Amino acid sequence: MDHLLSPEELDFAHQMREFFRTEIPEDIRYRQAIGQELSKEDIVTSQRILNKHGYAVPNWPVEWGGQDWTPVQRHIWLEEMQLASVPTPLPFNTAMVGPVIATFGSQELKERFLPATANIDIWWSQGFSEPNAGSDLASVKTSAVRKGDKYIVNGQKTWTTLGQHGDWIFNLVRTDPDAKKQAGISFLLIDMKSPGVTVRPIELIDGGHEVNEVFFDNVEVPVENLVGEENKGWTYAKFLLGNERTGIARIGDSKVALARVKAYAAATKTSRGTLLDDPLFAARLTKVEAELTALEFTQLRILSTQVAGDDKPDPRSSVLKLRGSMIQQDISELMMDVLGPQGIDFVDSREVPTGFTTLPPGAVDAGPHYYNYRKVTIYGGSSEVQRSIISKALLGL
Amino acid sequence: MDLELTDVQQELASTVGRLLATKYDAAARDEVLASEAGYSESMWSQFAEIGLLGLPIDEDYDGAGMGFAEVAVVMEQFGRALTLEPYLATVVLGAGLITAVGTDEQKSELLPGVAAGETKLALAAYEPAGRYDLTRPGTTASVSESGVTLTGEKSGVLGLGAADRLIVSAAVDGGVGLFLVDPAAEGVTIDVRTQADGHKAGSVLFDSAPATRLGEGDASAAIAAVIDTANAALCAEAVGAMEASLKMTAEYLHTREQFGFPIGRNQVLQHRAADLYATLEYAKSMALYAKLAVIENNPDTRHRDVIAAKLVIDDACRHISQEAIQMHGGIGMTMEYPIGHYAKRLTVIARTFDEADALTAELAEMGGLIEARAADLQAG
Repeated sequence: MDHLLSPEELDFAHQMREFFRTEIPEDIRYRQAIGQELSKEDIVTSQRILNKHGYAVPNWPVEWGGQDWTPVQRHIWLEEMQLASVPTPLPFNTAMVGPVIATFGSQELKERFLPATANIDIWWSQGFSEPNAGSDLASVKTSAVRKGDKYIVNGQKTWTTLGQHGDWIFNLVRTDPDAKKQAGISFLLIDMKSPGVTVRPIELIDGGHEVNEVFFDNVEVPVENLVGEENKGWTYAKFLLGNERTGIARIGDSKVALARVKAYAAATKTSRGTLLDDPLFAARLTKVEAELTALEFTQLRILSTQVAGDDKPDPRSSVLKLRGSMIQQDISELMMDVLGPQGIDFVDSREVPTGFTTLPPGAVDAGPHYYNYRKVTIYGGSSEVQRSIISKALLGL
Repeated sequence: MDLELTDVQQELASTVGRLLATKYDAAARDEVLASEAGYSESMWSQFAEIGLLGLPIDEDYDGAGMGFAEVAVVMEQFGRALTLEPYLATVVLGAGLITAVGTDEQKSELLPGVAAGETKLALAAYEPAGRYDLTRPGTTASVSESGVTLTGEKSGVLGLGAADRLIVSAAVDGGVGLFLVDPAAEGVTIDVRTQADGHKAGSVLFDSAPATRLGEGDASAAIAAVIDTANAALCAEAVGAMEASLKMTAEYLHTREQFGFPIGRNQVLQHRAADLYATLEYAKSMALYAKLAVIENNPDTRHRDVIAAKLVIDDACRHISQEAIQMHGGIGMTMEYPIGHYAKRLTVIARTFDEADALTAELAEMGGLIEARAADLQAG
């Protein structure tokens, strides 16, 4: 991409490259690069370093720690961060609740929450989906009934990612049960230590504990924790979900993952040489490489028109989500196939008892990652939702 | 970063687009398609008048001295209108090779005629036994005191029939040389064929046919370069044709009613149409990628990047052309309705100069686009 950048943009890219590769601890980047699960501490450490230098929340307003960057600079920041295997700042804080508070919250809420959110002194969880409100998010039923200076919240949220680490949770709650679906929803911030909040882990097919159910049983929430106006929550949610699609193509991450697949394939012996020389495997791999390039240039083309002065979210970002998630899954499948028989077992470590053969690189994460990445075509607007957006917004169907 | 067309390029696109919209609609095209020549001499003259034929030709030879970026703009418009004129053969391949390897004298003799619309060219490089290989021609050149003669057979010669001069590759001095041949000369037998898309091409037999060497020395690198350029031009043309196909298909989904409502209200068709849209975006991105590779002309990456683009576009041609017919139903099978014509051109483009499987294998052999790297493996 370097040769497409202006001299100023190239300087910026070099500055980012240098920063990420020198300031973020090597051991965190190594764990991220080889697909190890990061601890809460890893994520917090990395984000605090970013925040100290003004690189945690560049998309926020400048007065709250943001940067006055162009869309291209934001792209470079994210791409270089991913290429350096630096964990991206916690999206619930930086891409979701932060921008909502900064845009719609009162001055008091901003002062109370934004600095702590940028610095991850508060770990935010997302309370959007419910058992009966998935793609149809406006069907949320969790209720918040006003009683004096408090809301009484009852209901259940689900798919709350990393909710086990959560200090606070931002929720879509129903404040007007009589209004039309979208009209009766509010955006409420809840302290997860409040009496009546219960977090229950959901075990996933990858063997891990990434998501949770969160139950609210007569939880008392001060009314000042309401963001913006009562019953306007759907507007804020749409704003938030629009932000969520930015960068969702995760091109830098896919480049790193594909380079890793290739390196392991080159080190994997088969009866005819290495797996990288196998014509069928090489053909699949090569197609994904070419498609990833097509995805990257689609992203750059969209950015290039944004530079020209259009700041609205581009419906073509649905193409980025649709195809970017497919590529992430394709890469996870290639990695499974590189491991072959050694990708079948779920193991915690490559170490084995004395006398046995050490497991190959990737043996720990290839399988779980493959199963885990079934999620990428489901979350953030499923592939089916993206196709509906494309056919309506771009083809007029 | 700016990936948009320049003002001049946008102006060029709308000039060509306007000309084709008024003079090259489906009815006009059908007439050209049914004609003996298979292209329109009158359109060719108008292309010359607005400067399209001399676009990439140096100003010293009456051209406009522009670059591939402008050629790509024209090709995309040609793809949209599905023009049948031998532009790729004459301007991209023919004039491209003469510019690359011809002597000053040869350039002076031929290029002004191309720019003026008086000279058409065709590259005769492929052979029946060689599939898509251009590096080992079976056609041979023999040099004697009385001159050069060629013997052999060429196939897949785009623009054959219209061409006033052939540029022929042949084995010479242990390498590959290029030669100019008059198609009307003794010892030259021509078999013009009509491709599925209506474009004229065909085969040529050379039996001690008189020839003149084009430039000197081994021409392998120049041939490879001009094919890369032509492939990038096809990528642009394919994008124009695919965009038109998708637009036409979306309109059909809106207007065609079955069971009392437009068929486009069926979610299964909406979602498949959305996939076509995503495929078209990939194709546009890779046409841009190929264009940048040709313009940058980095010897280490140009060929690699062009074939990466072409293989994505070949797949896109297949996806969009097949689905466009399917979504039109029976009407898409008829010669009366345009969508099938687009499908045929796209099917031919995906097999011109190469095809996706071979390109995938070649790209893999070249090491692909991404360097192998894992933090927990030693390099190498």
